[in-house]
Amino acid sequence: MGKKVKKPITTNNVITFVVTLLIAIVFIFPILFNIMSAFKTNSEILRDAIAFPSELYTESFKFLLTKTEFPKAMLNSAILTIASIAAMIVIIPMAAYAIERTNSKWTNLVYVFFLFGMMVPFQVYMIPLFKQLNMMGLFGNLVGPIMIYIAGSVGFGVLLFTSFLKGVPREIEESAEIDGCSRMGIFWRIVFPLLGPVTASMVVLQGLGIWNDFLMPMLVLPSGETKTMIVELFYYVGEFSSRWDMIFAGTTISLVPVLIAFLSLQKYFVKGVSSGAIKG
Amino acid sequence: MLREEEKVMEATATGRKKKKWWMNYAIWFIFPAFVLYSLFVMVPTFSSIYLSFTSWDGISDNIRYIGLNNFKEIWESPRVHNALKNTIIVAIALVLLENVVALALAILVDQVRWFRNLFRSIFYFPVLMSGIIMGFIWMIILNYNFGVINQLLDMVGLSALKADWLGNPDYALLSIILSTVWKASGYYMIIYLAGLQGIPQELLEAANIDGAGKWKQFRHITFPLLAGATTVCVMLSMINSLKLFDQIAVMTNGGPGFATETLTYIIYKVAFGEGRQGFGTALAIVLFIMIMIISLIQIRLLRKREVQM
Repeated sequence: MGKKVKKPITTNNVITFVVTLLIAIVFIFPILFNIMSAFKTNSEILRDAIAFPSELYTESFKFLLTKTEFPKAMLNSAILTIASIAAMIVIIPMAAYAIERTNSKWTNLVYVFFLFGMMVPFQVYMIPLFKQLNMMGLFGNLVGPIMIYIAGSVGFGVLLFTSFLKGVPREIEESAEIDGCSRMGIFWRIVFPLLGPVTASMVVLQGLGIWNDFLMPMLVLPSGETKTMIVELFYYVGEFSSRWDMIFAGTTISLVPVLIAFLSLQKYFVKGVSSGAIKG
Repeated sequence: MLREEEKVMEATATGRKKKKWWMNYAIWFIFPAFVLYSLFVMVPTFSSIYLSFTSWDGISDNIRYIGLNNFKEIWESPRVHNALKNTIIVAIALVLLENVVALALAILVDQVRWFRNLFRSIFYFPVLMSGIIMGFIWMIILNYNFGVINQLLDMVGLSALKADWLGNPDYALLSIILSTVWKASGYYMIIYLAGLQGIPQELLEAANIDGAGKWKQFRHITFPLLAGATTVCVMLSMINSLKLFDQIAVMTNGGPGFATETLTYIIYKVAFGEGRQGFGTALAIVLFIMIMIISLIQIRLLRKREVQM
């Protein structure tokens, strides 16, 4: 293998690059604007929105993190996200495995029943759900939303896992069965580890969705102890209507975990999108 | 002969095993998902269908059956018509703009020679943001008094074009549409990019040798080969545009007046703001039917194109 010969730089290359760069600036500007504004005082924001901060003003961050409910709300969002995801990746692959491997009339019926859920947007059932949670005593605590998230992801999740399982050969499972391994053991020790790529896509896609979700947590966890971060931020518009510095600081903090997750799991984000594309 | 017999025996044996399998294990494997899904998706969905024929206010235990009155009101109410009109405008505008922008971004990222991954990440990042956060940022950028857009217009001497982007009913919906294009296009870009990278280079090279220009190559080779990706993106963007909610909640709350009320937004406002949950569920059923029709069309189209997928 010889050294790769570098193609000469053409004007076309340069033009494409410049165009892409300009569009990229437009795309990244709102985010940079947000971060930049978080380090300005309120009067600076109102005086000149585009100007750089005169000094690194961090009081709004300190205020948010020590004097408000914001840290608590962040913790709630984290608990909600992690607990839902953890339960999802236990419950959904198991159901998908049973459906795919038995392939009987009954399991196929269950499969169609699950897929139907993909067509039902949350808005369609949110009104009765609200009342139902009240009746079940799940209103206002984190258990309710966790159940709703798991239930809402069954359709898509089962589709994703069954289609992947079709490509997983059964031979190993059969020999493990002959060796006397239980079905549970076969699933967790042999099959589940093979599902890694789908599980990762699922974790990334659903995790992001739950972390960012607004409508359901606002309806079900509207106040006090269990408010999530996004809902808390939403109410800041009313509360701090003239304190844009607070809002900018809050939104900046909320972007940090997303940015970290994205940078460390980039590959899965891209894969997740392509698998989400099949979802429809 | 012998082999056939063996096959039959094998089949019945595995059949029996499978049956036992199902009785013993499968039911317990499916059970948790089945219960949660039934309880938290299907039960409320069917309750919705029932409630849409009532005048329930959401609080009282007295649920009165009023037949098709809610649907009659949907048929007649100018506010609902306005919301439906907005929903359709948003859907058409978003499907067109998001797909054109996404395809353009995908082509640029595919062609650009330097920093390809960085550009892809930049275009994709807004997708990861919550609609609420994104709504805040744009609300401030579009603010009349100290917003960036108006300030920039002042700077380049186009003060005459300054507007109250969210407070003026003529511009509010447009502002929401354009900021959503900014937020969502990166998602479809990834799908188009995967499609572009699946196009065999030899085809384009051959066309090049035959003297086809860049546009001709795009028109006759690239674009037809992206048909699968396009179908997926158009359908997804349509369904997502029908579900648009967070941005409206933050940026305009459906206003000014009813200027940015869409179907999803009116469901929420009617049910939780005005205490008309029966009517809200009737609107939800309309949304459900719309999404179901689109999903069924999508499934049909995708079946046809399975080869390309």
